[in-house]
Amino acid sequence: MGKTKLPIDNSIRSLRAQHGEMTQQVLADAIGVTRQTVIAIEARKYSPSLEVAFRIARVFDEPLESVFQYTG
Amino acid sequence: MNAGFEEKSAWVQFGALVLVLGSYFLAATKMYSAGVNDIRAYVPVFSISVVLLVVTLIAGNIVAIATSKSDQADERDRMIAWRSEYLSSWVMGLGIIGAITAMVFKINTVLIAHGLLASLLLSTLLCMGLRILFYRRGV
Repeated sequence: MGKTKLPIDNSIRSLRAQHGEMTQQVLADAIGVTRQTVIAIEARKYSPSLEVAFRIARVFDEPLESVFQYTG
Repeated sequence: MNAGFEEKSAWVQFGALVLVLGSYFLAATKMYSAGVNDIRAYVPVFSISVVLLVVTLIAGNIVAIATSKSDQADERDRMIAWRSEYLSSWVMGLGIIGAITAMVFKINTVLIAHGLLASLLLSTLLCMGLRILFYRRGV
């Protein structure tokens, strides 16, 4: 079921790979959301709140703009 | 199905409402066509439908819990719930306005009651349908 992707792209998938193939569940637990939400963020079907975005960046120890890019 | 509890629960509610209250409306339509104009005659059928609905929802949600990881609802779940409720609430409002209008024109109580019930059902179905859509397509 397709949809025009949201304008905020992200590098979460590659960052997970760089961090020892971190699973979506581990990331979800670390940032306090469900695995389905991590899947939706990676697929650009959901743009997270600023708070969750910062939590994701902190898990990967990267600045926010390295994790999320505005493509609109 | 790669879905969390909230999405599975939306499917359960959608299915149970269509199945149980859909059956009730079929039965009520037959009764009304047969000339039953006393609202009290519908109460036993409706009561059975409500019990069946509750049992179906409990059973369905037990299955949804059993097949889902025990995740709490998060910000995405809350946004989807809020947006689907916001977009579906007008159906119930329309039903209430319709019922008030029907009262002004002294339309049969059976029709007013079922019109209100139908607007509640359609509003909830729209809400659950939108919830499922947002989970599948994104929000």
